[in-house]
Amino acid sequence: MTLEAVKLAAEANQWGAIFPELLLACLALALLALEIVLPKKLHAYIPDVALAGLVGTLGGLLVNFHSASLGKESFNGLLLHSPGGQVMRVFFLLTAMLVCILARVSLAKQKVPRIEFYHLVLIITGAMMLLAQSNHFVMFFVALETVTIGFYILVAYFRTKTASLEAGLKYLVMGALSSGMLLFGIVLLYGVAGNPTLPGHSASAMHYPALAQFLVANPHNFLAGVGIVLVLVGVAFKIGAFPFQIWVPDVYQGAPTPVTAFLAVGSKAAGFAVLLVLTRDVFASYDWLVTPALTAMAAATILFGNIAALTQHNVKRLIGLSGVSHAGFLLLGVVALSGPVASVSATGAIYFYLFAYLIASFAVFGVMAHIAGVDDSEQTLDHYAGLAKENPFLATILAIGLGSLAGIPPLAGFMGKFFIFMAAFEGGARWTLVLAVVGVVISIYYYFGWIKAAFFEQWTPPADTADPRPARTPVNVVSGIALGCLALASIFIGFYQGPLGQWLTMK
Amino acid sequence: MTSATLDHYVLISALLFAIGFFGVLLRRNTLVVFMCLELMLLASTLALVAFSRFNGTMDGNVFVFFILTVAAAEVAVGLAIIVALFRKRQTIQLNELNSLKN
Repeated sequence: MTLEAVKLAAEANQWGAIFPELLLACLALALLALEIVLPKKLHAYIPDVALAGLVGTLGGLLVNFHSASLGKESFNGLLLHSPGGQVMRVFFLLTAMLVCILARVSLAKQKVPRIEFYHLVLIITGAMMLLAQSNHFVMFFVALETVTIGFYILVAYFRTKTASLEAGLKYLVMGALSSGMLLFGIVLLYGVAGNPTLPGHSASAMHYPALAQFLVANPHNFLAGVGIVLVLVGVAFKIGAFPFQIWVPDVYQGAPTPVTAFLAVGSKAAGFAVLLVLTRDVFASYDWLVTPALTAMAAATILFGNIAALTQHNVKRLIGLSGVSHAGFLLLGVVALSGPVASVSATGAIYFYLFAYLIASFAVFGVMAHIAGVDDSEQTLDHYAGLAKENPFLATILAIGLGSLAGIPPLAGFMGKFFIFMAAFEGGARWTLVLAVVGVVISIYYYFGWIKAAFFEQWTPPADTADPRPARTPVNVVSGIALGCLALASIFIGFYQGPLGQWLTMK
Repeated sequence: MTSATLDHYVLISALLFAIGFFGVLLRRNTLVVFMCLELMLLASTLALVAFSRFNGTMDGNVFVFFILTVAAAEVAVGLAIIVALFRKRQTIQLNELNSLKN
């Protein structure tokens, strides 16, 4: 390679375009440095630094939302800066902020190192933001693995607890298995698309546009089909779609509550951001293969998630399985997009659903973090009995969050489901839509079981022994404000989607 | 004696991948499962290098370095979790690690 070529390549590296991610990486390193430099009594403020940094990054990103690099590729095609990518960046930053707030509540109950947790959250968030904008399989794989390996550590973070370690091992084995399949799929696609004897072959076959071009030229290549299926299986593992959801209940139960929230919202959203780009832009010419597979998966995921959640008594398993059904609803939106009659509103509907899910889920996880005791994996419905009397604030937040997740009008979750169903109707996925409505009806049963436990059940402590339930954590100012805002946002967005709706559906 | 063609390499790597895949699903010892996971990644690596060589593109060779790095990070985290779990439970047989139940 000559010097000129190196120069050209270096010019394509627009570092300014990934400024938010760079900021997060620097902040993550700064946290570790602060822990070394600061005296011990000031360590309590380091999480505040992380939170302030996230707020600052989010503010800067919102100000520069319509940046000049939108619609352009950078780093020689590794990244593509799209409006959808911007939306997901905002999404992941919000997620990270809320995870940090929950972590302050949850980590206080454990004897574990603190700062590394925030460090990992920031690194994972940066990687997710890059993942949502990736435009090349190398970028995609490296960002995805950064996210996944970070999650292995976070899931096993309560390393004095067997449950957390076991969940970490399970997530590791399943995660590595799915990464292996995904990688083999990528390799097959690369190998086929680079084959000089086939039409439309490309020298840089891992670049999405080049690959898409090749797939258009060879619409029925067997090896490419196998590669696409393997890639989709790998992504389906990450979003927890049936039949690749087997790890979900165990890992969600064993992981620390903030990590469960991060997995349920952040990891799932990252999977969908990727799936959206892949099915819409790259695998579009293979819709004869992708659409039926995703349709069947969506239907099975909705039904399985809801039915399996019915019998759960542990709230973390319950919310995990209900999260599986939410993945099914989101898959329905993806199907509407990739189907024969592509729905124009599906992309916006998916983004709206993700935001509604974020707001509602974190309200519920926030309450869970306060109810949880020292044993983080053992949170049952019994622990919620009498909550409305003891702590009306938390009980109200819980009711609003669960109501929104169940899709009760007029909350945000209802509008999210409504938009997705409209998109699916436009896209022609009629019979899946019927199954989805059945799924919603089933889900109301278990969500209301939870609300009933908090509002209508009386707790009678056993006479002879001490109260087996963990003591409730008092709500501090920051988490109180955050939870209040989340509940209000659920109500407000349910009534009025105007600017948010337009903003999310922008072309 | 004919020299190896692309098909041979792809066949071998598919075979390695299958061994790794079924090993993960069927074996019960965590360390063996780990070796099988690595085998899956190495199968991809072999295919990648072969494709790269026969298609005359360099991306594949570069990608291999990324995969090796990722695999190393994965093993580092994985072994740390296994050691911590072994200290806690005195076992790393997957079927005995069943404290997470409804």
